[in-house]
Amino acid sequence: MEKRGREKEKMKRIITILCLAILLCCAFYGISAAAGGATAAATAENSIKIEGGDYGYPTPFALFPKGPGYIRMSFIFDTLTWKDKHGVIPWLADSWSRSDDAKTWTFSLHRGVKWSDGEPFTADDVKFTFDYTKDHPQLWYAYNAKEIDQVEVPNPYTVAIHLTESMPTFIDDVAGCVPIIPEHIWKDVDDPYTFQEDDAVIGTGPLKLVEYDGTQGYYEYEANTECFKGEPIVDQLIMLDVGDPALALMAGDIDAASFMGKEIVAVEEFEDDSDFEIEEGSSWWVLNFYYNVGKYPMNNSDFRRAIAYGIDRADIVQTLTQDGSILANTGIIHPDSTWYKLGLPSYDHNIAQANEILDALNFTDTDDDGIREYKDEDGNTTALKFTLITSEEYKYEADFIKDNLKDLGIEIGVKSVGKRELGSGICCGAFEFAISGHGGIANPRVLRTTAMGTSRSEEYYEIYEKQLMTMDEDRRKELVGELQEIIADELPVYPLYHPKIWRVYDPDKLDAWFYTKDAIAGSIPLALNKLIVLFDSWRYDANEDGIIDKSEVNDARQDYDEDKITLEQLKKVLNLYNP
Amino acid sequence: MQTNIITKIVGYIIIIFIIISLNFFLPRMMPAGPLSGLTSSTQQVSEQYIMYIVDLMHGDLGWSTTKNAPVWDVLMRSIIWTLLLVGSSTAIYITLGILLGAVSAWKKGEKTDVGLLILFIAMAAFPPFFLGMLFIIYFGWRLDLFPRFGAQTLYIDYSTAFGTLLDILHHLFLPALTLTLTSIGVIYLLTRNSMLNVLDEEYIRTARAKGLGEWYIIRKHALKNAMLPIITLVALIAGLVITGTIFVETVFAYPGVGLLVSDAISAHDYPLLQGAFLFFAFAILAVNFTADRIYELLDPRVKEE
Repeated sequence: MEKRGREKEKMKRIITILCLAILLCCAFYGISAAAGGATAAATAENSIKIEGGDYGYPTPFALFPKGPGYIRMSFIFDTLTWKDKHGVIPWLADSWSRSDDAKTWTFSLHRGVKWSDGEPFTADDVKFTFDYTKDHPQLWYAYNAKEIDQVEVPNPYTVAIHLTESMPTFIDDVAGCVPIIPEHIWKDVDDPYTFQEDDAVIGTGPLKLVEYDGTQGYYEYEANTECFKGEPIVDQLIMLDVGDPALALMAGDIDAASFMGKEIVAVEEFEDDSDFEIEEGSSWWVLNFYYNVGKYPMNNSDFRRAIAYGIDRADIVQTLTQDGSILANTGIIHPDSTWYKLGLPSYDHNIAQANEILDALNFTDTDDDGIREYKDEDGNTTALKFTLITSEEYKYEADFIKDNLKDLGIEIGVKSVGKRELGSGICCGAFEFAISGHGGIANPRVLRTTAMGTSRSEEYYEIYEKQLMTMDEDRRKELVGELQEIIADELPVYPLYHPKIWRVYDPDKLDAWFYTKDAIAGSIPLALNKLIVLFDSWRYDANEDGIIDKSEVNDARQDYDEDKITLEQLKKVLNLYNP
Repeated sequence: MQTNIITKIVGYIIIIFIIISLNFFLPRMMPAGPLSGLTSSTQQVSEQYIMYIVDLMHGDLGWSTTKNAPVWDVLMRSIIWTLLLVGSSTAIYITLGILLGAVSAWKKGEKTDVGLLILFIAMAAFPPFFLGMLFIIYFGWRLDLFPRFGAQTLYIDYSTAFGTLLDILHHLFLPALTLTLTSIGVIYLLTRNSMLNVLDEEYIRTARAKGLGEWYIIRKHALKNAMLPIITLVALIAGLVITGTIFVETVFAYPGVGLLVSDAISAHDYPLLQGAFLFFAFAILAVNFTADRIYELLDPRVKEE
């Protein structure tokens, strides 16, 4: 009996220890929750949290050369010109002019701009930036200022940039993309790629970097109250690596998140939620079906057209992307771009027409196995069997197209490969068909190599070079339109769809999210233009026509009366008033 | 005995050499060259191999293409979080697994035993990422008890080290729990089985006959003898736990080596992937080595052999 009692004692002790352990867990949870609550108030009053992730130290030389990396840098560093919802706006430069041959660009700089360490910003900084970049290419676009012959500084607020050849696109491709760095900091830096001191992030932009933790994908910025564009309306901007942005948004960990294409499923969750608003934009991205135009029969444009008719793009958009995308422009340039050519053939799904073309090409099913054959030069019969390479991401699209083409009597074997392998396969022509995508389709620059290897490629390149040198924008638009016509007609690639992009946000925290005209720096689709943290009169442009009318002025007056905006801000709105 | 140790050391050196060589050749065997843009084509593979070994000796693991930094630096920044996560959950699942396994064997057939058995078999059947997601949704979001991502709240300035520590533990809780629960089942089951065998042995009956208390018998006589296969198992499932870590860190956006691996895979950062692979391989070797030593301590016969 006594032994039994002792065992029970032991058992009790074990249970007590377990209970204590559980209690301890609860206690430490309680304390830490309390600690969290107590200090949460210590974060800035108007603090915005958005999804983060590591894209490198935010300097022009240490960032990871991807869109989000450029964005993180652009909060700190400014360019000569910038873009808003409607197009190019003055930034570090108040105004600019170009010589008739577009070989010299002269910028009048904004006066009174200061670097965040208090030093004045002058034309010498601009000259230094381009000179320095020649020896140390900036990582974004691997920009090396090679088109710049020399930069002249006639006075501290004027720079004249002389180019080696005329460049009508200088504002879009250079002035609006290349961040200006302070000479007094960088002149002594030999290796800008590893320079990651506090001094490296001294800029003129609306935000200042407070903390960066690459391992945890964390960026913390505070307002640059001395910013020449006015005091930011946000005191603090925090970027957090959240894992699942939709959940983080719903749980209130972040105040805004971005979604693209097939992620429409997540966006729909927020549609009926009155706490959130959704802003839809263009991704400037296209998923392409590639033909190897160097191989028979893909080198025949009629054959390529037959396949285009055979692929049911509308069904792909509807079924596979659940309308999270739009039907692609067959001329590649995104329909929301300034350079888009309206009215190109769309090759609507038409099996009869596809079959007709294939019959006319003498691709016929001679052995009744459901697959067409043709006779090659040596008289051998070859069946229309091809391999389609793609990455795991687009496997469904590949399978879908495989079924589509089976209806035409063409057999496709789908092979899934790594992304890098896919890219190099398409580049080196080591494929028959491929599915892959790319961004940057807001800018005609993306059309440079598209029609390579087609029967009209010479004509195409002449037009491409010509549009690059064309000063008149309307004329240039015509030429870019001609390029798109050739692509849509020759079909060196068959664009499938453009994904949509969304910003889902909590309007109570910040409601200024917008998409930049023709993308930030020519290709970044994110609604993370630095203008969102600054006050700007376009906030009152309710009908988004770029003009402030009477009722919109009244809104601003009311906000001023209610102390929501300052007198200075009200004046800004009135400046745009156009009765 | 002397020769025994030498054989073992030689064995480890051969294994390390094989791992390093595999690590070098595997990416090079992949079709259409993931390394085509990274290595200069003028070099022979043999030259590259020698350079790789020499660099490795100097702690140079190459350059991470996505993180734009030396692989070694990138790994070092993340390793601390992985060690914290794996270390804490390993300590818990080994202790708790053995303890509960022993309790279960002792109470064989009783409610406690059956309950624990069902619970742990069920837990072992959960893939770590799934369990992690359930925890995030339930404890993280619905009940709002724990953070849903990350390793610490960087934007809150805890004025004391204690505050920061609590914040780190708070973030650690759910990932560690996930890893613990998905790993504990194996240890528990083996302890239970091993204990059941030992409890049938005659020396246990003798001990009982001597009038020793049950708990004393379990602790001093049964568990000690049942430990040997458990130590082996802990070493064997180290690999499994590391795979679990990759999933758990990805689900919780926990900034350890596992998250690096999943990022490196999606970004095709082969140098980083190779570095992480080496780290995991060495970690598993270290666990095995430690298990060998503990084995010798527990069972002097092994040493003598």
